[in-house]
Amino acid sequence: GLRKCLISMDTHHLEESFQEIKRAIQAKDTFQNVTILSASETLQSIKPSDVCCVTKNLLAFYVDRVFKDHRELNPHILRKISSIANSFLYMQKTLQRCQEQRRCHCRQEATNATRSVHENYDQLEVHSAAVKSLGELNVFLAWIAKNHQEISA
Amino acid sequence: VPCVSGGLPKPTNITFLSINMKNVLQWNPPEGLQGVEVTYTVQYFIYGQKRWLNKSECRNINRTYCDLSVETSDYEHQYYAKVKAIWETNCSKWAETGRFYPFVETQIGPPEVALTTDEKSMSIFLTPPEKWKRNPEDSSVSMQQIYSNLKYNVSIRNTRSNRMWSQCVTNHTLVLTWLEPDTQYCVHVEAFVPGLPRPTRPSEKQCVRTLKDPSSEFKVK
Repeated sequence: GLRKCLISMDTHHLEESFQEIKRAIQAKDTFQNVTILSASETLQSIKPSDVCCVTKNLLAFYVDRVFKDHRELNPHILRKISSIANSFLYMQKTLQRCQEQRRCHCRQEATNATRSVHENYDQLEVHSAAVKSLGELNVFLAWIAKNHQEISA
Repeated sequence: VPCVSGGLPKPTNITFLSINMKNVLQWNPPEGLQGVEVTYTVQYFIYGQKRWLNKSECRNINRTYCDLSVETSDYEHQYYAKVKAIWETNCSKWAETGRFYPFVETQIGPPEVALTTDEKSMSIFLTPPEKWKRNPEDSSVSMQQIYSNLKYNVSIRNTRSNRMWSQCVTNHTLVLTWLEPDTQYCVHVEAFVPGLPRPTRPSEKQCVRTLKDPSSEFKVK
């Protein structure tokens, strides 16, 4: 069942890549009173059965929107973001197989959670939204590390 | 009394020192003000909320740290904090931290370690570190309850041969066999969360001696 639909991903190097750019990226985010992946409301309330679908949807959110909308001049930051993006593409392929075997079912709660993330994103000017979403990657990575580890433990 | 902002240099190196979710804001005094009786005032901000909030116990204080564990106890939220220096009618601009995320950034303190031995084996009993709690009488929460995938890196050294090795374990008891009798072994342990790079704090080194092997004494006689 769902227990096998996991990303056996070592988030350590992803987290390290993020830690290197965290200060710079978060410093560009001047809207401290707005969040996109607001942890407590959205991700923490996700049930184990919805983990696969929410992971798939948030990977798509980052790959199809955030990484595309983000403008970056600093080559070091750009390299780190590209490394993270490539890891996300790999994770998408892993979940794609689950999708094909119909083991990544999306219930309404999971769809609602993802929709609220997109709605938060749309509240901001697109580049500000992309910077804020990148600054909140640690929330998504911590959630992945916790949820994809917990089920398989 | 309002102060002239910018009349003083800002405090420096403002960071959160976080261990087992005990989150203490700390900073260095402004440069060039040695011998001046400077005081400090702290505010904090919950990421996603609307306003900066005062920390009343850290208004006009002399010390260069402020415990914000209560204010940052929801470890799945993220926070900012800031401090300014005040001297008479002058004050500095605010010095602000980066975004602080306790769930990812808190250091995992050392576990409690108990050792027992016999001639050729040693049992190592581990108790996970405890999360910071508001009041001593509050019920304890183990860091394992927050990080279900918490692991332990156990390092062992044979003080006679100076041979060292380590083992990564998940459960709380480790039995080492095939040890040398009548030999001192030293152990220290650090707890860590896989997947999230953060500094760890090893336990104090503890040393025990395996028992003498009675059969070897019999032969000598």
